[in-house]
Amino acid sequence: MSMEDYDFLFKIVLIGNAGVGKTCLVRRFTQGLFPPGQGATIGVDFMIKTVEIKGEKIKLQIWDTAGQERFRSITQSYYRSANALILTYDITCEESFRCLPEWLREIEQYANNEVITVLVGNKIDLAERREVSQQRAEEFAESQNMYYLETSAKESDNVEKLFLDLACRLISEARQNALVNNVDSSLPGEGKTISYLNCCNFN
Amino acid sequence: MAVSRSACMRGGGSSALSMEKLCSLTELQQLEAAYSQLCAEEKVVDVELEELFSQQNAVENKMLSLQRMGPNLQLIEGDAEQLSGMIAFTCNLAENVSSKVRQLDLAKSRLYQAIQRADDILDLKFCMDGVQTSLKNEEYEQAAAHIHRYLSLDKSVIELSRQGKEGSMIDASLHHLQESEQRLKVLVSDKFDAATKAGDLPQVERFFKIFPLLGLHEEGIRKFSGYLCAQVAKKAEENLQLALGSEGKERRAALIFADTLTLLFEGIARIVETHQPIVETYYGPGKLHMLIKHLQAECDRQAEKVVDRFIQQRDYHRKFQQVQGSMMRSSSTEKIEPRDLDPILAEVTLMSARTELYLRFIKRRVLSDFEVGDSMAAEDVKQEHQQSLDKLLNHCLLRCTMQELIGYYITMEEFYMRESVNKAVVMDACEHGQLISSMVDDVFYIVKKCVGRALSSSSIDCLCAMINLSTTMLESDFREVLCNKLRMGFPATTFQDIQRGVTSAVNLMQSSLQQGKFDTKGIETNDEAKTSFLVSLNNVEVCSENIMTLKKNLENDCNKLFSQDLGSESAKAKIESCLADMASVSNKFRDLLQEGLGELNSAAVKPQIKPWINLFLSVSHNIEEEEFNDYEANDPWVQQFIVNLEQFMAEFKAGLSPVIYETLTSLLTSFIALGLEKVVLKSTFSRLGGLQFDKELRSLIAYLTTVTTWTIRDKFARLSQMATILNLERVTEILDYWGANSGPLTWRLTPAEVRQVLALRVDFRSEDIKRLRL
Repeated sequence: MSMEDYDFLFKIVLIGNAGVGKTCLVRRFTQGLFPPGQGATIGVDFMIKTVEIKGEKIKLQIWDTAGQERFRSITQSYYRSANALILTYDITCEESFRCLPEWLREIEQYANNEVITVLVGNKIDLAERREVSQQRAEEFAESQNMYYLETSAKESDNVEKLFLDLACRLISEARQNALVNNVDSSLPGEGKTISYLNCCNFN
Repeated sequence: MAVSRSACMRGGGSSALSMEKLCSLTELQQLEAAYSQLCAEEKVVDVELEELFSQQNAVENKMLSLQRMGPNLQLIEGDAEQLSGMIAFTCNLAENVSSKVRQLDLAKSRLYQAIQRADDILDLKFCMDGVQTSLKNEEYEQAAAHIHRYLSLDKSVIELSRQGKEGSMIDASLHHLQESEQRLKVLVSDKFDAATKAGDLPQVERFFKIFPLLGLHEEGIRKFSGYLCAQVAKKAEENLQLALGSEGKERRAALIFADTLTLLFEGIARIVETHQPIVETYYGPGKLHMLIKHLQAECDRQAEKVVDRFIQQRDYHRKFQQVQGSMMRSSSTEKIEPRDLDPILAEVTLMSARTELYLRFIKRRVLSDFEVGDSMAAEDVKQEHQQSLDKLLNHCLLRCTMQELIGYYITMEEFYMRESVNKAVVMDACEHGQLISSMVDDVFYIVKKCVGRALSSSSIDCLCAMINLSTTMLESDFREVLCNKLRMGFPATTFQDIQRGVTSAVNLMQSSLQQGKFDTKGIETNDEAKTSFLVSLNNVEVCSENIMTLKKNLENDCNKLFSQDLGSESAKAKIESCLADMASVSNKFRDLLQEGLGELNSAAVKPQIKPWINLFLSVSHNIEEEEFNDYEANDPWVQQFIVNLEQFMAEFKAGLSPVIYETLTSLLTSFIALGLEKVVLKSTFSRLGGLQFDKELRSLIAYLTTVTTWTIRDKFARLSQMATILNLERVTEILDYWGANSGPLTWRLTPAEVRQVLALRVDFRSEDIKRLRL
């Protein structure tokens, strides 16, 4: 049970159709590289990156899931412990956009209620082959109460922003939760309630 | 004259007097002065002359010796000229020699080349003759060795030879050789095929060894693999038919497909084991992966057949759909019995485990072969090999097929776990005298079994998924069950707080309605409700413990798995993260325990204890000697209070686990201390009343110390200090204990509180109290 050197730990899970660039987004963010000819992810992959925001160390545990159907029962088991979900589609692939409602149903079914979901349209470097307009995606995201961002893992556009903005939102959310929890545990003679953030420290 | 010469010798003008000047002199004085000056100069000149004369001898001697050396010099000049001539000659000679050596060297190397070429030509002829005789005698190894010799000849040399005088002859030989080469290639290929058809392993191996000699490495391996694959296919087909034809009652009938798959893997492993040395010896290191690539394709085909028959025979997909249906709709018409899934789940995990084991074997073999083959290779070649191996291992059809099976397995295992847990909850029973009820042990037995089964699949992703799912099940569903039980509350006993009893009955009814499937039985009597609540508290605590034990055991199991070189660093990190989530659920159960204890404390303990404490108010502490003595004989409050407490707590002591009981007594003592403080502040005391209270407090503390292992002195510190104050002789006596005089005592009462307590003494005057400086 070693206390590690960070102030917050968040679990982020990337989901979306196969081939929309989830692994590339993760690799770009965690390792700063764009691996061309990336094979399909098998099961789930797992990367860690620690970022510093306003002097606080935030450890991001990023779970990169396989988009393929045959891994669904494995990937679904990770939704519930996720603090944030990054739902990714490919702007040059109408099909990947049309599958979003199905993904949202999955989230509804398996994720916890407090999860933050971000919609990401990837591959904007291939703008000439775009099939889903930004406006359409924005409207969809708004209707589902999601934050929307367009990225290019290849050109490194908006990738940092995606993860750092998400980290900021997770921090403010966590602070609010901690506040609520502290109010709850006012009964005398009772141990202090452990917020789910503190729980992360038990390794 | 001498003067002027001397003057000239000294560089002219140095003599102070010239002739013109002398002639122009007119005054005697001036003349005398000039004269004496001249005399002095003369003297100097004389001295110089003397010196010069004295040197004359030495100069003459030198001159003489110089004259004598003259003829010698002429001799030396002659010698030197002769020497220079000789050197020039030697130099020329050396240059001549070295250029000759160079020529010799060149000649020698050309000679060597000539010999080499002659050798090559001879070899060529020899090869040609040899090939033809060998072919005639069907000595294919010999023939191939000749061709190999020919192929390793320097092509440019042969080209040069053809341009020579004997070009036509060599051309003919070459032509023959090439023809023989082609013929041999076709022959070997045909012979190999024939041997393959005949199933003649020695012949197959014989020709397999010939291919690399003809430079046909890839073709050799391809053909040989084809032969081996046919063998694998034949054996696999036999095994599968055997499996399908086997009686359902045999001992391992339930695992027959896993066993068939195992036989397939073992067969391939044996082939690799047996033929690796030949490949290494005749094809060189680094070629094994070519063989394995071909074998893997066959393995994929055969494994797929086995899995297809497994799916068909075991109704795998229909069972999965049934399970999915039952999970979606809670009341399905044909609900599947979880226990019926046991055999199929066991078989799937065994199939997965065998696959992992087999792929690990392949990985090790290819890696070590690459290690030898690529020891001198460039970094990018190594990486390319690594990538092709990864692709082979991770994207082969076998892997994909198994992943699909595991995908279905996870859903079915989850169903198995949930259904069995629901059943355990429904069948929950608590034996009389047991602290916990049956479902806790049952649920953890089930979770252990399910996660253990996932672990036995050797698939890290499968294990992680099951850890996640059991974490979810424990955290939400099972915790909810216990939460609901606790929410029913601890019923108040009949003579108190009827309202409370009504509330919990209503709660009970509501939750029974909502939680139809989880709620067990109505609670007929208060006693049963009480026991149920206490058992639930114990259950929650044991759950929290069990989760930590489960986590620790899984950690150990995983370490064992990793020590077998299964899984990478990232696999370890994945499991660690999933297990950390599981541990955090243990804390959630701990929180629930605290919540339940809080509920018990406020619902049952406080309302019961409070009136007993309040009885203190009905006992006057404003007493005289007589009453004090009477109290001595017939204790008015504290003894009864202690007896009541003892009786009241006995129920909890019997019904709660020691740890929870400890916590509850701690809550109880805190409450008593606070309540007693309140009633004391509402009473009045005489000197003897203070003494009485002191006695009462001591008895109470002495009793409470025996029932709890925690220190309670601290909780009663304020009360003890109040007793001290109420026992004072005079108001000012407090100063003996206050401030600088307090000694080891730390006051827990504020000055205002001290005054307040002093004022409880009827015999202390308020002016005296006011006058105190605290």
